[in-house]
Amino acid sequence: MAEYKLLTHAFGTKDLPTLGVYEKLGGYQGLREAISKFTPDELVAQVKQSGLRGRGGAGFPTGLKWSFLPKDVFPRYLCCNADESEPGCFKDRWLIDNNPHQLIEGVLIAAYALQVETAFIYIRGEYRDQRLLLERCIDEARSKGYLGRDILGSGWNCGIIVHGGAGAYICGEETALLDSLEGFRGQPRLKPPFPALKGLYGMPTVINNVETLSNLPHIVQRGAAWFAALGTEKSTGTRLFCCSGHIGRPGTYEMELGTPIAELLENHCGGIWKGRKLKAFQPGGGSMQVLLPEHLALPLDMDVIQQAGSALGAGAMVFMDETTCLVNVSMRLVDFYKHESCGKCTPCREGTYFESALMHRLEAGQLTLAELATLEDICDNMNGKCFCPLGDTATWFVMSAYRAFRDEFEAHCGAGTCPVAAAQVTALVPA
Amino acid sequence: MANKTTTPSSSEGLAEAEKVTVTIDGREVAVPRGSLVVDAASSLGIHIPIYCAHPKLDPVAVCRMCLVRVGKMPRLQPACATVVSDGMVVTTQSPEVAKVREGMLEFLLLNHPLDCPVCDRGGECDLQDFAVRYGPQTSRFPITQKSHAAKAVVLSDKIELDQERCILCWRCTRYYDEITGEKELVLVRRGIDTVIDSFNGEPLTSDFQGNLPEVCPVGALTHRQYRFQARPWDLQRTKGICPECSYGCNINIDARDFEIKRFASRDNPQVEDMWLCDRGRYSVEKWSHGSRVRHPLIRAGGEVREVGVDEAVAEAARQLGEVLRLHGGGAIGVIGSPMLTNEELWLLQRLARETLDCHNCDHQLDELGNVSADEHSLGIAEIEDCETVVVLGAEPEANTPVLTLRLHKAQLRRGVEVRRVEHDASPASLGIKGKRLVGVIADEVHRAYAADMADALASGNTLVKRLTVTRGVNGRGAKDMGMLPTQGPGYSRVTGGKDGRQILHAASAGAIKALLLVGAETVLRGAGILAEKALAKVDVIIAIEPRAGIVANAASVVIPGHTYFEKRGSVTNVEGRVQRVSPALPPATAAPQETRVLAMLAAALGATGWGTGDPFEVNTMLSQAIDAYRGAGNGGRALWKRQGEPR
Repeated sequence: MAEYKLLTHAFGTKDLPTLGVYEKLGGYQGLREAISKFTPDELVAQVKQSGLRGRGGAGFPTGLKWSFLPKDVFPRYLCCNADESEPGCFKDRWLIDNNPHQLIEGVLIAAYALQVETAFIYIRGEYRDQRLLLERCIDEARSKGYLGRDILGSGWNCGIIVHGGAGAYICGEETALLDSLEGFRGQPRLKPPFPALKGLYGMPTVINNVETLSNLPHIVQRGAAWFAALGTEKSTGTRLFCCSGHIGRPGTYEMELGTPIAELLENHCGGIWKGRKLKAFQPGGGSMQVLLPEHLALPLDMDVIQQAGSALGAGAMVFMDETTCLVNVSMRLVDFYKHESCGKCTPCREGTYFESALMHRLEAGQLTLAELATLEDICDNMNGKCFCPLGDTATWFVMSAYRAFRDEFEAHCGAGTCPVAAAQVTALVPA
Repeated sequence: MANKTTTPSSSEGLAEAEKVTVTIDGREVAVPRGSLVVDAASSLGIHIPIYCAHPKLDPVAVCRMCLVRVGKMPRLQPACATVVSDGMVVTTQSPEVAKVREGMLEFLLLNHPLDCPVCDRGGECDLQDFAVRYGPQTSRFPITQKSHAAKAVVLSDKIELDQERCILCWRCTRYYDEITGEKELVLVRRGIDTVIDSFNGEPLTSDFQGNLPEVCPVGALTHRQYRFQARPWDLQRTKGICPECSYGCNINIDARDFEIKRFASRDNPQVEDMWLCDRGRYSVEKWSHGSRVRHPLIRAGGEVREVGVDEAVAEAARQLGEVLRLHGGGAIGVIGSPMLTNEELWLLQRLARETLDCHNCDHQLDELGNVSADEHSLGIAEIEDCETVVVLGAEPEANTPVLTLRLHKAQLRRGVEVRRVEHDASPASLGIKGKRLVGVIADEVHRAYAADMADALASGNTLVKRLTVTRGVNGRGAKDMGMLPTQGPGYSRVTGGKDGRQILHAASAGAIKALLLVGAETVLRGAGILAEKALAKVDVIIAIEPRAGIVANAASVVIPGHTYFEKRGSVTNVEGRVQRVSPALPPATAAPQETRVLAMLAAALGATGWGTGDPFEVNTMLSQAIDAYRGAGNGGRALWKRQGEPR
């Protein structure tokens, strides 16, 4: 198993984001086939059979999610979650920038399968260019009858509305996304009821990630069985990995699932830069637990990584070399969560503030060992007690780093400075 | 209203709900299906601390104080939002849960200013109480790193907000969303900087702002009127009924040093459903001020003499007896007030009709004519059971503001169609229809329109019930008691007499020679110059009056009366609910209560069998005399058989 360009195969083609070029490369054939070959229910079965799992973070089986919609309750809604805001994650932007029609086709296939007549693409506010691009491409597609009234003569109507967010990380959480889309303050909703039963405007709603939906044209065209054969048994297909950090060639790489992480790092990312050694890496974005060099042999498989104590999450790989101070990284991530906490529930709102205050003092070498125990304790009081996963994940990286690099954390206590940074300065001074 | 559990809200009995059995802390309990874990626990007497959940609001599960272990679920679950299922096993008392509660309280107190010594809520604050019971005993957070927010933000002329004390439980925003529908309070900013503020920073304009400090579990929202007025432990609390209108809202009266400091709600789901209006709640001040009559007085020949009660009663009886002997009962006029208790009103009309042979008695100026219990058949809580409720004009909601909230609840929770229409609207032109139950609500002045509307709507199987909004806290009781010129107790037919205004006209013309006025100052003031002429003309004016004013200044015999908050007795609200009141303040006079004075007066006039005039004794007597009141007891509704219904 290695790199496999499924979603990205046409990337680089001149003018791919225009309808003519996309059609020439077989674009919208998936939609045609979906409508002509399958009933909506058959299409849901196809996606189930393909084993496609959500690419947004949780990795929930897409077909199963679709089948939760109650029968005969209409209207239903489909929301494409393009609120990509996980630290280290930039694959959705890349997919939209390079091949927006692939996403639109995927949205339409999903909309057909779910009998949705209004689909939304909720895109983060910072992706202004991408929003305008999508809007232009939707107009193009409408002019050719791929969306609008009586799509491809099927009698089915569907429109797509692109909605820009206002810059909140929490709006990537599906129920907060729905609140934001409805015009409210973006904050997660109480579950149950789950969006499949009561979602947007109180109606059954499916929320899928950009990458998930971009897979659909290929599943329809090449068949569910073909797709299921790709990747591993439980993690089928390919995934886009946003690789960043201390590596030679940062970028987004599409890998068949099951490929060892080491191959991604060494053969594609160009290994750790400046000939240094890997100290730690984060496989799923800012919220996921830290992994160590010994985990490089693991395959890129959602369940295997989960067993190792982390997760593939949204597919962001952040590699850190031996000079990295894990306390510093933890502090920056905790600050991110403090800044992005929506303030709805107590442990996240107050806990991230407390955590951040402690982390700043730890990084400055001013914390005592007793206060380090306090940090662990408040993380325990937050983890699993928050209203939504944001608050829980605010503790995951720092706690996993603390467990793996306990010496480094303890060395900070009472040091008066960051010992990792100090050691590097010392090394630079000629003897 | 996603997963709202149904709570019995109407007066009509609900079918026995299906029960499920849950085990909480090793104890089994059967609760109705759809109950929340927190309610199931409370039925076992197990306390689960909660800030955000409120019995009248939908759950949000944001405070995370109520996390408990439910079965084998991987995460702790919020008891306030988790619905019970059969066989569910819940653990609320374990080291794990205790640690979470302690942790949450540490978080909540992290940026709290801890200014309890100057906080109005100190002493009745959930944050204090739970911190003592479940909280950590020490703080691990450096005080210098606390995040501060604004203090004493003026939200309106009634409410102040201390953003720093706020624990962001969302009760106030949900109150505005769900109970009044006005949405005046919002959350602004996010994360640690989140605060509650008024929308766009504009002052609150709601008529129901006074409920905000009550739903607030901490000292963030406070009444400006009550700010720094008392410590809760210095307050003496009495159960009472709000004096401002005839809706009969149940209140707690909190007094300190012989002054009423505040009215607090006392949840009665059948009446105000725990929500008070600002007019009622903030009417506190007028009960502690104003000049009072403190001693009995006899006024003769330009001289005023302070006397004892016995002498005043004897003199009053002498004067009334003389008029009765010389001119007959038709030369006497008796005026009461809708602020009197049922007991006083019943005795007063008895004194007039039986002892003084006088039929000129009224509690207001203008007679309404042909009043019947039928126009009060719709209960307040029954509004939720209607398919359609028609409200004629703006007066009903202006007179009894809390009615608005009941209509909103009926609309929101029960899908009742509420139609607010012109007084003379016809049901056909409005397309109002109903198959089961239609309610028609009007004020007293527009009773006739309501009757027309009801007649037009009643057809086939449609049941129409009317609610007429009366005036004055006991306006309804005054009618039931027969303090009317043409109707006696229980709307019985009696010899007709003059109404309030006719009495004053006759008095100023010299046809009426004596006036017996009980608490009638406000009624007479409403008559303006007519009242002054009458008072100047009549020589014999017997007044039982709590306040100094035109009546006390003109009366030949004045016996000090008691204000509404110094009395014992019962009052009847607009739907006929008979509710007890008891003294919240010590009397400003040594004179006995009105009922006793009336009994003394009757005895002095030669009547027998009146008893002592003790309010409880009078209550028993009037309950025996009026069937509906025997049925109502204390807190129930006085219900008459509808016209045409078999007895």
